[in-house]
Amino acid sequence: MRTDLRARLLGSLQTRPWALALVIAVILFVANQLARSSFATWSSWPSLLADFAPFALAAIATTPQMLSGAGGIDISIGPLLNLVSVVVVGELIARGTTSPWIDVPAALAVGAAVGCVNGILVGVLRYQAVLATLCGLFVLSGLGQALLATPAASSQSWLTHLGAQVGPVPGGLILIASPFLVWLVLARTAYLDQLYAVGGDEVAAYSAGVDVARVRITAYTLGGLFAGVGGLALAAATQTGDPTEATQYTLPAIAAVAIGGTSLVGGRGSLLGSLIGAAIIFLIQTLIDSLNVNSNVPQLIYGAILIVAIVLSATLSRTASRAAEGETVAA
Amino acid sequence: MSATLEPPGGTRGATPAGPSALARLMMLQRRFQLFQLLALGLLFLWGATTVTDFATALSIKSMLVSAAFLGLAGAGQTLVVLVGGIDFSVPAFISGGAILISQLCGTYHWSAVAAIAVILGAALLLGAINGYVSDRFQVPSLVVTLGMSSMITGGLLLWTKGAATGAAPAFLATVTSVGTRTFGVGIPPLVVLWAVVAIVLGVTLGRTVPGRRVYQTGANPVAAQFSLVRTRRVWTLTFAASGLLGGILGILVGGYTGSGNTTLGDPYLFEGLAAVIVGGTTFGARGDYWKTVIGALLLTVLTTVLIGKGYSNADQQMIFGLLILLVVAGYGRSPRLRDRI
Repeated sequence: MRTDLRARLLGSLQTRPWALALVIAVILFVANQLARSSFATWSSWPSLLADFAPFALAAIATTPQMLSGAGGIDISIGPLLNLVSVVVVGELIARGTTSPWIDVPAALAVGAAVGCVNGILVGVLRYQAVLATLCGLFVLSGLGQALLATPAASSQSWLTHLGAQVGPVPGGLILIASPFLVWLVLARTAYLDQLYAVGGDEVAAYSAGVDVARVRITAYTLGGLFAGVGGLALAAATQTGDPTEATQYTLPAIAAVAIGGTSLVGGRGSLLGSLIGAAIIFLIQTLIDSLNVNSNVPQLIYGAILIVAIVLSATLSRTASRAAEGETVAA
Repeated sequence: MSATLEPPGGTRGATPAGPSALARLMMLQRRFQLFQLLALGLLFLWGATTVTDFATALSIKSMLVSAAFLGLAGAGQTLVVLVGGIDFSVPAFISGGAILISQLCGTYHWSAVAAIAVILGAALLLGAINGYVSDRFQVPSLVVTLGMSSMITGGLLLWTKGAATGAAPAFLATVTSVGTRTFGVGIPPLVVLWAVVAIVLGVTLGRTVPGRRVYQTGANPVAAQFSLVRTRRVWTLTFAASGLLGGILGILVGGYTGSGNTTLGDPYLFEGLAAVIVGGTTFGARGDYWKTVIGALLLTVLTTVLIGKGYSNADQQMIFGLLILLVVAGYGRSPRLRDRI
C-alpha cells in the first residue's frame, strides 16, 4: 500500500517536472509571510500581483520559442515588453487615445507582429534564434529610445485600474491568466502536439509531415503576443513608459524558464513551469527586500539562491525520475 | 584543420562528381571565412568613401583598440559557446577586474603585480566554479553564470560599500591608449596583446589535443566520454579560461577608464556575444576564435561608420541590428531541414 503511494507520487513527479519547483516556491512564499506578516494579506494581493505580472509574463513569453527547439532562446522579449509599454504610455495614452478597446489590441498587435518577424527570421530564413533575437534586442531597444527619449509617466486612465483592480479582480491576475487561456484553447487543437514534436526532433517532425516553419512562426508569434500582455503589465505596474531599462527582464526571464523545468534544447517544459520559475525568482527578491538587510547584500544572496534553486530543482527531478523508473522495473 | 571538423551534413548540397566551382567556394568559405572578410572589406570601403578621416592611421588605430576590447570580451565566450554552454558572467568579471585593480592599487596601495595576481587567481577560481557546477549537476550554464554574475556584483558592492573610489595604476592607461607605441612600432600595445591572445587561442583550439577535446565535448559530450575525454574537466577549464579572460579585460578596461564600477562591464555582454555569433561560431563545436576576431572587427567598423555618419544612439542601435542580419545572411544560417534528413 505504502510503496503503491510512493510509486504514484514519483510517477506524478516524473510527468510534472515543475512540481518540485512548486514546492520551492511554496516554501519561499511561507518564508516571505514569516519575514513580513503584511506580505500577502487580502488587501495587498492586487499590488503584489501587479508587481509580479511583468516578470511572470516575460518568462511565459520566452517559453513557446524555447519549446520549439533549435536553440530557441529569445533574448528580445525584455526589450519587446519595454517597447510595448512605451507605445502604450508614450504614443497612445499621452496622445489622447485613452480607450482600452483601442490601446489593448494595439499593444497585443505590436507584440505579435514583432514575434512573427522573429519567427520568420528563424523558421523561414533559417537564422539562429540567438542571432535573430540579438538583432531584435538592438533594434527594439533603439526603437524604444527613438519613440520616447526619457521615461514618461501615464496620466489617470484604464491603466491605473489594470495596475490595481478591475472590478473585484486584481488586474495582475487577469494579465497572468490570459496566456494560459490561449494555451488551453490551443490544447484542443493539434498545435501543441506539433510544437513539442518539432522541439523534440525537428528532422523527425519534418519527415512526419509537420510544417516545421509554420509551427515555429506560430511559436514566436505566441511569444510576442504574450510579451504584448507583459508590456501592458509593465505599463500597469510602473504607470510609466521607460525606454532606458530595455534589457532588465531578459536574463532573469530565461533563468525563470530554466528553473521551471523547460529544457533549453526544446521539446520539454510548460508555461506553468515558467510561471513557477518566475515566482521563485520574484519571491527570492521580495524576501531579501523584507529582511531589510544592508542594501549591498541582496545581489549576493540572490545569485547564491539562484544557483541553489536550479541545482536543487534539477537534481531532485532527476532523482525522482530515476526512482520512478526503478519502481516501474521492480513492478 | 577546421574543414575536417565540419559535420558531413554541411557538404551535402554540393554535386558528388568532382568539386564544382560552388563546392570549391564553399570550401574556401569554411577555411578562410570569405563572406565575413568580404563584408568587412565592403563596410570599411563604405566608411572610407563616405566618412571623412575614416581611413587615417589614427582612426584605424582607434578602431583596432575598440575591436581589441570587443574581441577580448568575445574570447572567453567563444570557448564556452564551443563546448555548448554560454557565459553570462563575463560583464561581472570585467567590472570585477576593473574595480579590484583600482581599489587594490589606488586605495590600498598594493603593487600592480600583486593586484593582478589576485585578480587573475580569483577569476580563474570563480570561472572554474561556473563550469564545474554546470557539468556536475547538469544544469544550464546560463542560469549558473547568471547567479555567479549577481554574486560577484553583490560581493563587490558589499566590499566597496557601494562606492568604488580608487584609481587604476597609470601604466595601464598607457597600455590601453591609442597613441602608445609598442617597442618603437606604431601599433598600440593593446592591439599587440589581442593578437597574442588570438594566436594562443587559435593555435590551442586548432592544433592541440586540449583544443580538440573542446570540440569533442561540444559536439557530443556522451561520445566524447566514450573516447575517454574527461568532459567535466573540459567544462571546468573552459569556464575558468573564460573567467580569466574576463578578469584580464577588466584590468585593461579599468586602466582605460581610470576607475571601476559595477556596471562597467554590462555593454560587453550582448556586444561580445554578437562578435562571436556574427563571426560565425555556433553553439556546440562549430567555429573558432579567428571567426570572433573577424566578427569583432566587423562590428567595430560598422559602429564607427554609424557614429561617423552622425546617427543618434537610438538610430545607431536599430541600423546596427538590421545590418548584422543582412551581413550574416551571406554565411551564418542553418542548413535547410530537407537537406538534413
